Amino acid sequence: MRGKEDKILADIDWALVGLYLLLVIMGISNIYSSVYDPMKPDLFDLSTEHGKQIMWVGIALFLGVIVMIIDGSLIRKLSFWVYGVLMLLLVAVLFTEPINGARSWFGWGSFGVQPSELAKLGACLALSAHLSNIPITKNKLAPSISISYLVQLVSSNWKTIAILGIPCVLVLLQPDAGTFIVFTSFILVLYREGYAGNILLFLLVAVIIAVITLIVADSSFIFLKIKMSGKFGIVLALLIMGLVFYLLIRQFVLKRNRPPLYRAMIGSLIVSILFVNFVEWGYSTFLDDHQKERIDLLLGKIEDPDGKGYNINRAKAAIGSGGFAGKGYQQATLANASQKHVPMQSTDFIFCTWSEERGFLGSAFLVILYSILLIKIVSVAERQRSRYTRIFAYCVAGIFFYHFMINVGMGIGLAPVIGIPLPLFSYGGSSVLTFSLLLFILIKLDSERKVVLQ
Amino acid sequence: MKNIDNRKYIIALIFILIPLIFVIRLFFMQVVDDKWKERAAQISENKVITYPARGIVYDRNKIKLISNEVYYDIRVIPNQMSEDMDSFAFAKLIDISIEDYERQMNKARDYSYRKSSEMVKQIPPDEFADIAPELYKYPGFYEVERTLRIYPNPIAAHVLGYMSEVDSTNIKADPYYKSGDLIGKSGIEKSYEKVLRGKKGVKYYLQDAIGVETDRYENGKYDTLAEQGSSITLTIDAELQKYGERLMQNKRGSVVVLEPSSGEILTMISSPTYDPNLLVGRRLGQNYGELMKDTTLPLQNRSANSTYPPGSTFKLLMALIALQEGVITEEASFPCTKSLVGCHNHPTARGVSDGVKMSCNPYFYYLTRKIIQQGKHKSHFVDAAEGLDIWAKYLKSFGLGVDLKTDFPAIRYGFVPNTNFYDNEFPSKSNPYGKYGWAYSTIYSNSIGQGEVLVSPLEMANIAAIMANRGHFYYPHFIKEIEGQDIPDIYTIKQKTMVEPENFEPVIDGMWRVVHEPGGTARRARVDSLNICGKTGTAENFKIINGKREQLVDHSIFIAFAPKDDPKIAVSVYIENSGFGGTWAAPIASLLIEKYLTGAIADTNKENRILEADLMPIKVVPKKK
Ligand SMILES: [Zn+2]
Repeated sequence: MRGKEDKILADIDWALVGLYLLLVIMGISNIYSSVYDPMKPDLFDLSTEHGKQIMWVGIALFLGVIVMIIDGSLIRKLSFWVYGVLMLLLVAVLFTEPINGARSWFGWGSFGVQPSELAKLGACLALSAHLSNIPITKNKLAPSISISYLVQLVSSNWKTIAILGIPCVLVLLQPDAGTFIVFTSFILVLYREGYAGNILLFLLVAVIIAVITLIVADSSFIFLKIKMSGKFGIVLALLIMGLVFYLLIRQFVLKRNRPPLYRAMIGSLIVSILFVNFVEWGYSTFLDDHQKERIDLLLGKIEDPDGKGYNINRAKAAIGSGGFAGKGYQQATLANASQKHVPMQSTDFIFCTWSEERGFLGSAFLVILYSILLIKIVSVAERQRSRYTRIFAYCVAGIFFYHFMINVGMGIGLAPVIGIPLPLFSYGGSSVLTFSLLLFILIKLDSERKVVLQ
Repeated sequence: MKNIDNRKYIIALIFILIPLIFVIRLFFMQVVDDKWKERAAQISENKVITYPARGIVYDRNKIKLISNEVYYDIRVIPNQMSEDMDSFAFAKLIDISIEDYERQMNKARDYSYRKSSEMVKQIPPDEFADIAPELYKYPGFYEVERTLRIYPNPIAAHVLGYMSEVDSTNIKADPYYKSGDLIGKSGIEKSYEKVLRGKKGVKYYLQDAIGVETDRYENGKYDTLAEQGSSITLTIDAELQKYGERLMQNKRGSVVVLEPSSGEILTMISSPTYDPNLLVGRRLGQNYGELMKDTTLPLQNRSANSTYPPGSTFKLLMALIALQEGVITEEASFPCTKSLVGCHNHPTARGVSDGVKMSCNPYFYYLTRKIIQQGKHKSHFVDAAEGLDIWAKYLKSFGLGVDLKTDFPAIRYGFVPNTNFYDNEFPSKSNPYGKYGWAYSTIYSNSIGQGEVLVSPLEMANIAAIMANRGHFYYPHFIKEIEGQDIPDIYTIKQKTMVEPENFEPVIDGMWRVVHEPGGTARRARVDSLNICGKTGTAENFKIINGKREQLVDHSIFIAFAPKDDPKIAVSVYIENSGFGGTWAAPIASLLIEKYLTGAIADTNKENRILEADLMPIKVVPKKK
């Protein structure tokens, strides 16, 4: 009879492990290239970023081995504990000295840990534990979005909302808008777990309204010879839309079917108007000036090829100048540490160095690699009998996907400039540890797929 | 349930779709669109600025006043230095302290190991001659040539001005300047900065990943050559300027010489002066500091930036205004009533010419009263208020206290008091005389050039030119020619005063008699056959010394033009603290006139007396007991 360990080893998804190692090694080689200093050529020099990254990967692999050894059920049992401890860390970090205007680091010398990165792991575990414990209810697909529907949604799901809401609020207090945005990736999980598709539809509409609000909020226009603010304009547009719907309903809908539609219509109108005000308030209250500028740049409200948009322009120039086959290893002229034409080229803008040196061949390869990883995680998720593991897998997929989408999208000008790392690729201990543990736990849980029933 | 399981396909679709969009976008950015490659080249190219030589400045006879000389900056590339280099010996070689050496070295290393940084700059060629043969022993260090100003004739320091590094306001005001550039800070260097500076050149290099220049960008397609600044010719007569500066040695004061027929400034001297070569190169800061500390104020341009009371020279204008206003005739006689204003002993002045010749204070007291109190109103106060504004208007037409459009920076205008001034600002803004609160009896000192009126030596030279021209002038200016450009039209437009030419004759006659007749106040200015016309003045001089108001020795003033009937030169001379105008200022003016008109000095005794005079110490009048 084979030992338990052998069995687990045999059921480990080596393809996932291979993808992990490939990304990590590509990442280290890329960091080495981007920060290369001829005075410190040693790959393992701990005073360099590549040296530190190797150290962090080593630590991550060590933790990975521990994860492989312990029992999967222990992970499930400890889920809320891990979550609780990480939330306490998120609270504790608010009492540290701010670095660059945010209280997000616990530092020891030149090493530091960002609890907000690890909090993602905690949220994954807690959400998986919570959702897997409630029976699958056939969520009624509400006919439309209305206030009563929202109230019901909140009251029946308050635990889910709390699990995600607490870290969201805590990271906003740091403030760390990037991590906050990543937390919205859990919508993907909720979607997969049968929560009404209407939520997504609702969110899509919300995003559109929010974007329009931000674009026009602080501009003004003349309507009927009266000067009014952009915000009022949106409200006016919403009211006109409501009127049009009202007329359409009166024209085309049978009388007995009208009341619920009216209710839905008035409900959405009120929610929309409140939301417009909330977005504007949040924009002016929570975001600091450079974040506002980033959003304004992305929305095209300000255009400034070498001023405020400096970073993103140089990032695009670095990527674009890579050409088809790239400039070659250590040949990036823009995205490298000694020139500093592109900022944060080993963390937030790491994709620039890669794309400049490897060209379209390399950048497309990396993008496809992430796509393969994501699809792979989805396929792993779908083969689980354990709901816990499936939910956890989707959490991992969502987080990887968001980081990938925003980081790469930012470099090529398709996403706002939000400084978050490229998973397993960017320099940074906390992020390497978090993404590694997410994958390792997934691999561990997956390896027990034949053992675990629920 | 099945419905919900289908959602995995939607999620998978998103995971494929978004990366696909990214790949397409990347393909356009990296393969299709060349825009980003151009942007990258612009960002990573290294722009090397080549500096143009500045325009040469000549005097009116094409003698070089300002030229350029190659200076040397020493730069360092830290990673090319040898490890066993003797820092102490090197610091000694380039003549800096070991602390300065270390500081520069640290700055260089902080900036880049591979790129060059400045070590010392602006080493003059004679000092570099000692360094050059040793420099090869110190790998990593090399020299860069740079042109700086040199003054072959070390004269006219205040006129020519000096250059120093731009400050943040200069950079903000004009994007041409980058930190470390030089800019004209005063004098001609400042007023003709844009003409003289030329055009910078640019060379573009490409850099590799570690910042080493690899190639010319696009084979130098976008490179431009530096263009030397245009040279300019000044109206200054270097010979006369040099001679004047010799005469003004050991004296404090100013000399301005104009050509009346054109307004060209032949000479502008402020004494004590300094060697303009002191304010060039790496000793600029130190030398400037020392000149700043000097209590005789060698950096101050007394000719253009100082004002003095005009003293008795002002009487010329009083006479002209009175004649033009018709309040007197040229035969007008006033008694020398010493109880009103002090005077010296002289025969009674029987006419304007006599009054000017004898410089009788009471004469001009009465004469000016006729201008101010014309008797048009019953009230003396209303009468004076109207009269003073007429008077002030005349003086402004003589260029006093107004912009003379001189092509020179930071010119200080004189001051002509008017009715508004006495109504609202004098004796103090908080407690002025008030409207109709004053009459001629309050302000009469102005009639003899003492009260509140102030003039600059440049303005007084212009007055001398107006006398020479019998009523008109041209704006005094320094520029004669600009290479490839015309000089401004304003300098060729005749500026008319409010006094008709015929009214000048009795006054000029008086000026001639000042110099030539017994009893004239400036007989020391007489040079046979030159027909110099002049007027002396003494400006009272107070200074607060140790908190007490001390009467200092008066400033000696003399303005003159010559020859009387075809004037070629107009002069104003101010000698601080030297007493009566006829004693020092008049002979200095006459020597300058003689030198300019004849090229030599006949009376060497007169010349030697001036050259030997030392009037530097500030003298305090002994207190009368
Ligand atoms: Zn008298």
